[in-house]
Amino acid sequence: MIIQNFNHKMAAHCESGTITSLLNHGGLNITEPLVFGIASGIFFGYFHKMKSFAFPTFIVRNKPGQMRTNIEKRLGVKFQTYDFNNPAKGQQTLDQLLDRNIPTAAQVDFFYMDYVPSWERVHINVHFLAVIGREDNKYIISDAYFPKVVELDAASLEKGRFAGGNMSPKGFIFHLDKLPSDIDYNTAIIKGIKKACFYMLKIPIPFLGIRGMRMFARKVTEWPKFARDTEHLSHEIMKINILLEDQGTGGAGFRFMYATFLQQAADMVGKPGLKELSGELMKIGDGWREISLFSARIGKNRDLGPDKLKQLSEMIYDRADVEERFFKSLSQAIK
Amino acid sequence: MKEKEGYVDYPEQQMILYVEKDDGKYGPIQTGSYISANYMDDYVLKRRNLEMELRTQLADGMISPVKYYMVLEDLSLSELAARAGIRKSRVKKHLESKKFGGASVDELSRYANVFNVPVANLLQVILVSHQGKLESNLILENKAEKISVNHTTTTNPFVVLTTIEERF
Repeated sequence: MIIQNFNHKMAAHCESGTITSLLNHGGLNITEPLVFGIASGIFFGYFHKMKSFAFPTFIVRNKPGQMRTNIEKRLGVKFQTYDFNNPAKGQQTLDQLLDRNIPTAAQVDFFYMDYVPSWERVHINVHFLAVIGREDNKYIISDAYFPKVVELDAASLEKGRFAGGNMSPKGFIFHLDKLPSDIDYNTAIIKGIKKACFYMLKIPIPFLGIRGMRMFARKVTEWPKFARDTEHLSHEIMKINILLEDQGTGGAGFRFMYATFLQQAADMVGKPGLKELSGELMKIGDGWREISLFSARIGKNRDLGPDKLKQLSEMIYDRADVEERFFKSLSQAIK
Repeated sequence: MKEKEGYVDYPEQQMILYVEKDDGKYGPIQTGSYISANYMDDYVLKRRNLEMELRTQLADGMISPVKYYMVLEDLSLSELAARAGIRKSRVKKHLESKKFGGASVDELSRYANVFNVPVANLLQVILVSHQGKLESNLILENKAEKISVNHTTTTNPFVVLTTIEERF
């Protein structure tokens, strides 16, 4: 069986895309950028030495799962959530929800999603998708990163749902439970922006927000000492491009999608200043894209000497400076 | 970013990119992955070199199969230990070729589950001879060649059916 009226749609990001799909299916006409912006999705964090990661890395969105909880708080929608210790119980509950024609979002380790080519798969426990049907021993999946609905073996879905390690999904699933009769978008948008500004400017942790960006700029020159050899360093430097562009960001580390949110929000809250700021953020995103392209180029050419890493560092410092000014202006614009 | 700058012809990996449209409105377009379209050959080259180097170390007894897959799958020691549900100090031992033999079948099964390979693959490396070179399945899958190596699980957690198939 497959839930017939579920409209599969690609999205920039797996979590905001899945939430948007569930809300749209439930009858709420909302765009992915609005979900992302209201949920304060934009963020920055740098992890230089973390036991869970084999190499320094960074993130450009808020903590996985927070988009859902922030959307619940700010829009007044209710998602029913479940997690499990027992995989059999986890599968049974999922099957029961599908039998009731309820599209159900699942958190999985992306590595086990074998509809993805193996060269694209990485171990990351915070991939979100919607399960929209079941045929024999296969589940029908709506994955926002794929143009079409795909099939996945029950065993692979179980492996993905019950992978261990950092941010282990524990079989986590959720579905839309209730939509409010009336939504106060004005308050939701302002709260979403305020929290995003707090994350970027004021969060008192040195590796998060703008300070995290500066830490990234400072520490990227130390990356060679973590690498096995030049090819490993090249791979990790080129991953900057993947993290900013390919890993579900909508381009430029979510900056383009957040600019779209601000443009849409400007009319909804009657603050034309947000429209100007959205244009500014689009240009800031172009700068991030230059970093992506630069990283890919020097990685490919194995041109990874101290001078090139310093140049990369300066480009990141520059983004930190412009984003600090931008988020201060944004913070002022919503007062 | 302007819409016309956003399009990349790469049907194998599609994604959504937010761009400025001609009317000044921002919105999504479906496009191909820039890095895959332009740098896939480089990725394959690095992956092949890494596989070959690790295989040599494995064959020479310098590393264990656990270390082989841990590096290939980009996992840290802590992350592998947490995923396999095996103490970190014990995993550290299993990374060494000499101490790998002390791992129990249950532990091998846990590692294999994390790496998504048959337990048997912790004791063998399957390669396909292709144009005079020995290649792994991953490299061949990417090149869409005629031979593919497939593993099918059975209800027995330790037994996998390995089939070598010709693609048509």
